[in-house]
Formats: sequence, C-alpha cells, structure tokens
Amino acid sequence: MTVLATKPSRPHATQDRPRRRRTPLERREAFAGVVFVLPVLIIFLMFRFLPIAGAGGMSLTEYAINGEATFLGAENYQRLLNDDVFWHSLGVTVLYVAVFVPMILVVAMVAALLLESIVKLNGLFRSLLFLPYVTSFVMAGIIWTWIYSSDGPINSVLSAIDLPAIGFITGDQILVLASLALVSVWKGFGYAMLILLAGLKAQSGDIREAARIDGANGWQTFWLVTLPMLKPVVFFVLVIETIFSFKVFDTMYVMTGGGPSRASYTLIYMLYDQGFRFFDFGYAAAIGMALFVVVLALSLVQRRIFERKEA
Amino acid sequence: MSVDTVEPGPTARYAPSRRRGQGRLMVGILLLCFFTVTPFLAVVVLALTPEGVLTIPHAWPSDLTLDNITQILQVGDFPRWFANSFIYAAVSVVIILLTAAMAGYALARKRFPGRNVILWSIIATLMVPLEATLIPLFILVKELGGIDTLWGLILPTLANAQAVFLMRQFIMGLPDELFDAARIDGAGEWRMFTRIVLPLIRPIVATLGIFIFLWHWNDLLWPLIVGQSDEARTLTVGLATLNTEDVSTTNIMAAALVSVVPCLVVYAVLQRYIVDSIVATGIKG
Repeated sequence: MTVLATKPSRPHATQDRPRRRRTPLERREAFAGVVFVLPVLIIFLMFRFLPIAGAGGMSLTEYAINGEATFLGAENYQRLLNDDVFWHSLGVTVLYVAVFVPMILVVAMVAALLLESIVKLNGLFRSLLFLPYVTSFVMAGIIWTWIYSSDGPINSVLSAIDLPAIGFITGDQILVLASLALVSVWKGFGYAMLILLAGLKAQSGDIREAARIDGANGWQTFWLVTLPMLKPVVFFVLVIETIFSFKVFDTMYVMTGGGPSRASYTLIYMLYDQGFRFFDFGYAAAIGMALFVVVLALSLVQRRIFERKEA
Repeated sequence: MSVDTVEPGPTARYAPSRRRGQGRLMVGILLLCFFTVTPFLAVVVLALTPEGVLTIPHAWPSDLTLDNITQILQVGDFPRWFANSFIYAAVSVVIILLTAAMAGYALARKRFPGRNVILWSIIATLMVPLEATLIPLFILVKELGGIDTLWGLILPTLANAQAVFLMRQFIMGLPDELFDAARIDGAGEWRMFTRIVLPLIRPIVATLGIFIFLWHWNDLLWPLIVGQSDEARTLTVGLATLNTEDVSTTNIMAAALVSVVPCLVVYAVLQRYIVDSIVATGIKG
C-alpha cells in the first residue's frame, strides 16, 4: 500500500527522445523487455483487468449459476438501494469501522510511545507486541471465541464473584462489534505500531527536549509537539486501517456468523451470502461495486480533509 | 514518507529526565505484552490438556497430553488441509517472486513500447479491493474448471501488484554500471537476469517471500469460495468449519496450535527481518 505514497520516477528514462529508428541494441532491449513483462501481463489481463471489467458488467445482469446472463440494466442497483439488508450491513460496517479505527490507533500509539522510550529489553518487547500479527484471523477468532465464551476466563472470574456474565459476542450490537474489533486490534496493531514507531524515531528529539525545557509536561509535549509532527504518519495509518476494516469478514465468519440477528452482518458478509449461499451473482457483483465506490470515496475524502488541514 | 529511517534520533536516550519514568513505562509495556501473549499461552495449555479434565480458567491441568493433537490429525482430512495450505502458499510465493522479478526488471531497465501504460495500469489495480471483484473472479475460475482444485486456488492470487511495484523500485535503485559492464561482456538477456539481477535483489525477495507466504497461509475468503471439497480445502477454511461444528475446545485449540506453528517458526527465525521490512517498505499483510 505504500505504493500510493511513493511516486516512482526516473527522469532520464521518461524524457521524450526525438523519434528515430531504434538501433539493433535498442530493438533487442525492447524485445527482451516485452518478453520479461509478458508473464505478469498475461496474469494481470486474465485475473485482474478482466474481473475488474467483468464486475461492472455482471452487476448489470442477472447471472445464473449455469452461466446464463440476462441484461437488467440498473435494476440490481435499484434493488440494492431499496434493500433494507444492504443499508443495515452498510450501517454495521460503518459502525464497526468507527469503533475499530480509534481503538487500533490508540493501542498502536501507546505501544509505539512505550517502545520509543523503553531502554531495557526493547527488542524483546517489540517482538512480543508484534507476535499476533503473523497469525490468521481464523486462529485469532478461535482463541477469542473461547476467551469471550460463557465458560471462558473473563466470565469465569465474573461468575466467581457473583457478577452476571457478559455476552461479548452474543449481546448488544455495540458490544459485539467492539469485541470483534478488539480481536482485530489484537491481531493487527503491530503493523500500525511499527509505522508509528518509525515516524517517532525519525523526529528530531531536540524539539521535544526544547518543549520540555520550556516547561511543558509529558502530556502537553505529546499533544502540542509530538503528535502534530507525526500527522502524516498517523494519517497514513488511519487511511490504511479504515480501508482495511471496511473489508472486514474473517472474524465475523469465524466468531459470530454475522449474528446475533445480523448485529455483525458486514458488507462483505452480505456479498458472500448473496454470491455463495443464494447464487445471486449479478446482485452480489453490484454489492462489490458498492464496496469499491465506498472504499474509493473514503480514500479521496480522507485525502481531501488532510490536505485542507495542511494548507 | 520518511518512515524508512530506523535510526533513533539524536534524543538523549539516557538523560536522567528520561530514565525517571522507566518504571511506570515498564508496567505499561508489560500489560500490553500480557494482552498479546496470553492468548497464545492459553492455546498451548488448552491444546495439551486431556479431554474432559477441568482446565483453565477453572484449574491448571494436572497432567498434559498430546492426545488432542493426534486426534485432530484424524479429523476431516486435517493433514490434507495442512498440505493444501502449504502448497497454496509455497507455489504462489515461488511463481509470484519469479514473474514479479522479471517484470520488475523489464519495467525498471528496459525501454519498450507500452511500458508506462503497463506499469500504471498494474499500480492502479491496487485501488480496487479484491473483494469487489470476487464474483467475476469466481465465475472466471469456474469457467476454467478450477473450482475445488489447487491450481484454481493459486492462479488468481498470482496477480500481485505490490510485488511487481516493489521489485521495480528495488531494481531501479541498483547501480547502472553493473548492467553496463555485463552488457559489454556480451551477457545475454536471460543470463543478465539470472547472474546479475537475481543475486542482487535477494533482500526484496526475502521480504516479499515472507509476506506472500503469510498472506496465503492466513487467507480465508478466496479459499473459502474456491476450495469447498477436501481436495482443495485449506487449513483456514477447515479450521473455520471445525469451529462451528461440535468439536471440543481442547481439540479445536490443538488444531489452532498446529495451524499457527509454521507462522511462529517463520517469525522466530526471521523476526528482525519482518519488522525491518515493514518499516522500510510499508508492506502490509
């Protein structure tokens, strides 16, 4: 994803040369270039460009499992806009993003600040904090299903001291989404932590030291000096995690099945159901297009807001 | 982004003002480590607890056993799922690395018609989430006869724009002189690629290799829709179905433990490397 942040440029190669016949060496080079790029080009044409074009096309049809397609025009989209389940799943997804993103940013920021200041055993702590990142959401989901369960560790402690059990993934919608978000934070905050940590280390310590000498306490230094200087990095993490969490599916599939009563039924879950439980491929493709539009709009809006604040 | 600087700034790290708070910071970081590590310990203990014995959180098991692991190996073709996951990950890693290195070399070092169009259209695909094209991709693989096969699982994941882009960036950074010298020595194109490019790109090959392996090993959605029968079912899909079935906690934890071991081994061996490359490239798993 850094791709979007870095700008590839190679000035001397992109300059326009006057048009002339290629020399034999240049022709050999060009031929080699085409041959070397060919495997990737074929793979992309087949499995990336074709499906991207196909997604738009399919969303305009009713596509049966036997491959028969009937052109419908915008009918799938009209149906989508009138489908309560679609608005519900979009709402669930937005709510989940709204819970997850602040949670992961805070945890990752605290972890990065701690790692930046801690002297002893720094490497070990960094490894332990990053550890869950290499596991799968399925694995994370299995462990946390047990942790959250009625005879898991938390509820056992609660029942031992005569408190009612908490239905982490069976209770209120907001509790369920927060519990699911915590699983993703557990698995994923290591990435954001490393990016933020690198940003912190790239800052000159002089400015923070100066603020401290001027009498700012730790909290003031963080809010007025460290954080403003870190803004581009925070923004990078924010965009990546927002887009990432919009596509959430794995933890719901493993832990709640979208429930209880669709409380955690996200956009991708609906797409999966429409496509692979009801085999309504055209409609599912339209949901995919909606997802694409939302993700694209998100990155544009965030970019715009950020640029305005910068100016 | 200036995230590639890993060196600590000129902060006075050992200044007295900084050392004073160390105790409090230590408590904070130990709490966070407790948060990340305990679930793993719980998996290990539960996986090794004999079935039916009172276990955590109610009691520490008095004796441990490997029964759960041997049992789970016999449930629903578990070894097959494990092998499928490994093939899915390993074959993809090898093919992606080879094709992306070739394309990265061509896009960085060769002038040919359409080069920029190809580069930018590959980069542009990063804007389209894979999930948005899930349906047409499934139909395509179905038409090719790839449903419930390993090749149907692998082929579509070979289009990895990030790998192509990072390879190109890395190869562009190599010194021109090496290529000029080889050309003057009369090296052929393929020879130039295998003798000069491949040895020099080892760092980026390692980085991409690790992450592509982890992405595939941990992937759920694509294997879920393509590999429904045991022939092509991966470990993640198998585990997800086990979790919803009536399998005892100790057995499912044994399965989870077996599934996570390869990742933990990769992490234990290449840990510093993984961490550094995230910072250097921003690569996200």
